[in-house]
Amino acid sequence: MPQFPFHRTRRSFLAGTAAGAALSVLAFQARAQAAKEVPLAEYTPEYLSPAEYAFVMAATARLIPSEGDGPGALDARVPVFIDRQLAGDFGIAADLYMEGPFNPEADPNLGTQTALPPAEIYRQGIPAFDIWCADTQGGLFADLDTDAQDIALTALSNGEVGLSADLREFWSLLLQNTKEGYFCDPQYGGNAGMESWVYIGFPGARGNFDDWVGRQEVYPLGPVNIAGERA
Amino acid sequence: MNRVLRVLLIVAAIAMVAFLAFLYVPVQRTPAQMVLAADYAVPEGAGAYAMRIADCAACHTAEGGQPFAGGRAIISPVGTIYSSNITPDPETGVGRYTLSEFRAALYDGVRPDGSHLYPAMPYENYRKLTEQDIRALYSYFQNDVPPVKATQPLNDLAFPFNLSWGLRAWKWVALGEPGFTARSSDADLARGQYLVEGPGHCGACHSPRNALMAQAALTGADPAFLSGGQIAGWTAPPLRGAISAIQGWSAHDITLILATARNAHSAINGEMQLVVRDSSQYMTDGDLTAIAAYLGALNQRAPKPAAEGQTDTEKLLISADPSMDLGPRLYLDNCAACHFTNGRGADEVFPELDGSSLVTAESPTGLISMILQGGELPSTAVRPARLRMPGFAYRLSDDEVATLATFLRQAWSNNTDAVTVDEVSGLRQLDTAN
Repeated sequence: MPQFPFHRTRRSFLAGTAAGAALSVLAFQARAQAAKEVPLAEYTPEYLSPAEYAFVMAATARLIPSEGDGPGALDARVPVFIDRQLAGDFGIAADLYMEGPFNPEADPNLGTQTALPPAEIYRQGIPAFDIWCADTQGGLFADLDTDAQDIALTALSNGEVGLSADLREFWSLLLQNTKEGYFCDPQYGGNAGMESWVYIGFPGARGNFDDWVGRQEVYPLGPVNIAGERA
Repeated sequence: MNRVLRVLLIVAAIAMVAFLAFLYVPVQRTPAQMVLAADYAVPEGAGAYAMRIADCAACHTAEGGQPFAGGRAIISPVGTIYSSNITPDPETGVGRYTLSEFRAALYDGVRPDGSHLYPAMPYENYRKLTEQDIRALYSYFQNDVPPVKATQPLNDLAFPFNLSWGLRAWKWVALGEPGFTARSSDADLARGQYLVEGPGHCGACHSPRNALMAQAALTGADPAFLSGGQIAGWTAPPLRGAISAIQGWSAHDITLILATARNAHSAINGEMQLVVRDSSQYMTDGDLTAIAAYLGALNQRAPKPAAEGQTDTEKLLISADPSMDLGPRLYLDNCAACHFTNGRGADEVFPELDGSSLVTAESPTGLISMILQGGELPSTAVRPARLRMPGFAYRLSDDEVATLATFLRQAWSNNTDAVTVDEVSGLRQLDTAN
């Protein structure tokens, strides 16, 4: 069939095309990056100082240990997730109401009342907690043995480590961000290799399981992430 | 003298005379095909409506440009053509055109100075316009459009389209008789035929081009008319025949997709989006019904019987068997959320992929582009939502797109050729370049 394609610049009205092209470049870079991920110990944090990073490594390793059935927080690269979140919009509370009045002493039922954004809570919370660890356990948290670390984290979770009211959210942030880093889409740096999804049988961002509603059997396919990778 | 030589000489002489005629005999302008009353006045609103049904904006309004000031680049295999300014500006537009000069542009593709318009202007089809519509358009472009002073870059075309006599010779071969002849006494069928063959210029894309790049047929009486063409590398699907894209569609399906760009089977993509955005959504219910009646009459063969129960493809997808090939796996991971394991999507939201003309087109360009870039429906008065399919260029490698496209072309009841990685790479590079 002879062709006579009148090619108007269709690009201009199929919106998002340029964005799509840009995204595709980014995504392939991200894939290439994932392939050459540096070991956790050699990761250069974007936000955390070396001491803070050592704390996050040690603390998340106790919250989701690697010695259990599934992958641990370090296997899932949770510290990378936390560092990148603190370096970005989450760290500076870009999406939170951060105008006064601030009343850190307010009833916890009233929610977060601190003027500190999450990144700052980590920055001030880690040394304050480390002081408590040094006083009561004999060393910085990262240097303690795992039994002592568990005692320290238990005390932190019970609000028994003497943090100022401004830092009241430190424990809940640490626990929440660890869970998030464990189960997030891998594009955010955590859940490396989708291992935590594989572990719990979550099939990922596939979007439609209509055909499986009511079937009393295990869904057999492994997960797929937002970048389209399969595990 | 040798007889053969004598015949050759005679032929050469005739050719020379014809050639000189193409060069020097003044161009004839086709007169009005119908005499209107001396006091004929264009009815209120008829001008704007004629502009809509003829979809003048599609070419003569550049994206982001002033209405009808031209300048849209139309890239064709013979070169780039820039649409002209049809606002009433006297210097750069059509402000000084007389009615007969205006009619000649639409009927004969001739400017007042006798030069020839390029056949990107579908005068092959506009030759069928009624005198009422000519008058309506003339009135509209003289009185209802603000004049804009705007010139276009010069066209840069290959032989013979770069030569006046070449275009004239082309027209001599390509153009049919002026005027419109209804083939049915049924008012709807006749009106539908007029809209499709004439102002709607559907054949400009949906009919194949012959060796001379002229539309292979200009009227529905010829089975080549609307039997499928190509535009910008995408397939303008056949609207009749064994692989008609609208086979089995109800009249409601046809009117709905023209009015809203979506129906129970399909969603408008590619260049046809411009048609819905600028033209068909403005058509009256009566005209849409007439087009549906006419297209329906061109599609009288019995629709393919629907498959009984689940297809093998559907069974495989539902099984979620980890040992399945990459093609169906990619479909489950990327497509099935919206288009479902049965490939039937959802009415007016997610187009069907089973039997889709985009998926099964001879050229896979449209399908690959849709996977890479996604698409967005135009907003129409009846269905304002700009429903959007995301592009998957960021998610799928060229290999994966080729594997997925090949799967789609052979899934359910589809049965078309495979797609190669090279086809995908080429389109991805083109899109990145743009």
